[in-house]
Amino acid sequence: MTGLTAALDPALAAGVPLSVGEVVDLFTSPTEFASVFVEGLAKASLYLMIASGLTLIFGLMDVINFAHGAFTMYGAYIAGTAVLALGVGSMGLVGSVATFLLILVGVFVLLAVLGVVFEVALIRRLYEYPPIYMILLTFGVSITMEELMRMLVDYYNVNSGREAIDWSIPRDETIPESLDGTFNLLGVSIGGLHPFQILLGILTVAGIWYFLNETRYGLFVRAGVEDDEMARALGININRTFTVVFAIGSGLAGAAGVMLMWSPLWRVNVPLALGVLLPAFVIVIVGGLGSFKGTVVASLLVGMLDALATWAFRVEVVTFTDIDQLLIFAILVVMLILQPRGLFGVEGQGDHG
Amino acid sequence: MSTETASTEDTSGSGLLPAWVGQYLRDHTVHIAVVALFVLYPFAYDFLVGQFGLFAETLLLRPRTMLTVLWLGLFAMSFDFVSGYTGYLSFGHAAFFGIGAYFVVLGYNGQLPLLPAELPFMTLLVLGALVAVVAAVLVGLISFRLSGVYFAMITLGVSEILFVASKNLDFITPGGSDPADGVTPGTPSSVETFNPELGVPFVDALQVELGAFGDTSLLGLDLAPMFSETSPAIVVSYFAIGAVVLLCYLAMQRIIHSPFGRVMIAISENEERARAIGYNTFWFKMGAFAVSAFFGAIAGGLLVGYQGFINPQNSFFFLVTGFALVAAIIGGLKTLAGPLFGYLFLEWVEEFLAREGSGGGLQPFLEQNIPDSILDATISGGLTVSKAMDSFMTGHGEFYAGIIFVLFVLFVPIGLLGTLRLRLGTESVSKHVSRKIAARFGGDK
Repeated sequence: MTGLTAALDPALAAGVPLSVGEVVDLFTSPTEFASVFVEGLAKASLYLMIASGLTLIFGLMDVINFAHGAFTMYGAYIAGTAVLALGVGSMGLVGSVATFLLILVGVFVLLAVLGVVFEVALIRRLYEYPPIYMILLTFGVSITMEELMRMLVDYYNVNSGREAIDWSIPRDETIPESLDGTFNLLGVSIGGLHPFQILLGILTVAGIWYFLNETRYGLFVRAGVEDDEMARALGININRTFTVVFAIGSGLAGAAGVMLMWSPLWRVNVPLALGVLLPAFVIVIVGGLGSFKGTVVASLLVGMLDALATWAFRVEVVTFTDIDQLLIFAILVVMLILQPRGLFGVEGQGDHG
Repeated sequence: MSTETASTEDTSGSGLLPAWVGQYLRDHTVHIAVVALFVLYPFAYDFLVGQFGLFAETLLLRPRTMLTVLWLGLFAMSFDFVSGYTGYLSFGHAAFFGIGAYFVVLGYNGQLPLLPAELPFMTLLVLGALVAVVAAVLVGLISFRLSGVYFAMITLGVSEILFVASKNLDFITPGGSDPADGVTPGTPSSVETFNPELGVPFVDALQVELGAFGDTSLLGLDLAPMFSETSPAIVVSYFAIGAVVLLCYLAMQRIIHSPFGRVMIAISENEERARAIGYNTFWFKMGAFAVSAFFGAIAGGLLVGYQGFINPQNSFFFLVTGFALVAAIIGGLKTLAGPLFGYLFLEWVEEFLAREGSGGGLQPFLEQNIPDSILDATISGGLTVSKAMDSFMTGHGEFYAGIIFVLFVLFVPIGLLGTLRLRLGTESVSKHVSRKIAARFGGDK
């Protein structure tokens, strides 16, 4: 709890005029509170999906994957194109959700394959270099991937006569009507997408937890995180484990992109790559580099505070448009001042260049 | 030529100039040659384009782009100064660039406390750089307790906070426009339009007005009749800004070759050992950070001086740091001049392969030289060759820059100047070559 109150401070310190009366209102009205809480959970799920791939890859391989956001953006574009092509928006609730899940799996697989290619062709060459070169390499790949997508969309727009609107696929063309808007549950107003996002967030946590703790590769991964030389000496093929983890991490990035396609905040566009990457970093750092538990807790923390800030903006306690972005980086700075290694960070991880 | 005068001065010692001037010039032969090339460039460009037309335009960087290279190169040098030489990756370096740029604009518009509106550009430039130094000390106090990724992330966090703030704070644009769209000096109607004078303070003859509509004469010499293909105002700004960049470079170079700089390098190589020898590494890192913030802010101020406009995307944005990093790697990390050459190379690739606006590059050349029958030929389903060129060769410079960057990281990880340095087996390419030349012509080495 100290972390939460501490992280609230920057919002106050940044001069955001919170009026006390309104805040009291929130905590005395159970329905209002519940709706902010559900929104917070939904946002936390999205953040978790974005950040979990990054944390897996960093924990084992010490690779800070700057191309993670680009993978997410590709996932979003592939899914958006598939939804448009299949016409999911006009299907009923069951049909659209089923198709959506199929697309989710498909994108996961596609991006995982891309991740394998990326790891084998490029990342693998640099394991012996200082870690900064990994940042450089993935950053370069990220720039290239983003611009390639811009080219493809430009090309598509030129040929279909479509107006290039921010190089994006508009949200209202892809979302099924039944999931758009809000519904009421016991007087609590809940966004139509929120239960869905929360469910997938829980599935992600459960899936990764199962992978790490119950599977053979999970065992290798944990051994590799602990001490990769020792694991190698015991005959574990760490290189192949690296590839598998990179594939899973990339797949998760893509799956997160599929989820973001319908989120009113993000939309399918090229700037999504950077827009996703930076918060994902913040969550990974706040949670502690390489700690999956830390990432889950940090996602909840950031998601809840984000929902609170969005609510504050909605009821016009705060009149600062990008309050959520400001908040995320304020959390990062305050956390690093108070607890330099994040919530569950391990001594020595990420200290070297 | 400099070496010849230098050697005669050196032997007599009682000539027109003191002996150290000769020594200094001899040590800096390569610098002088590079500066001479930069000075000659606009003249050469004008001549070659006049002579060979489109062909030269295709291959050469426009002087306008060279201007961009100057201030971005200075920014990348300041980034390299702290990130390369101390090994602390300053991932939020754009914060200082932005502070320098926004300080000039806001100070000119009279929106900063304690400052009257419409101060001279030079005053604002230096004050902005000093504010950046203060900001660097504040950021350094919290972030130099950390290292590695954590240091990079906390600086990134600070710069992102400034980025979001610069997009949203309404006080930046008193005219009521969206601050995310940028701001110009002279925004409230009471403020005079911006006339940035750069040069030696209080000496009118040594000052020029920057900008695309600025002065066209330099040191009393009217450049307008000498240029037919380029705007003379751009060339004047290019020389004035180039002089500032050169001064900044020499200052940073001096610091790096001083005992202070040696400690910076020691920190990057083995900080614990540097501490064990007795250096208080914390304050050395702070010093390096503050110096680099100063020059980073100067670069930002110069951008505003020429463009008379700034927006968050071109100042506080993360990719501003990102491309400084790319330039520093291509030119060579830990080589001070490297990032400038890195930017030169990068901009050339971008301009050659991805034309922006009406600029030169390969596409107009191909369009004029490939027969229409090929241009209009369809590749598949309504897509013609010229349409394909439009979508792949216009404005997508980052794609090619990214590929080149990846290739550099994989195959030339120490960059252009770094490789040269390794080949020559020396610590400073400039000094090494200068000495070689001096030995050859001076005969006394």
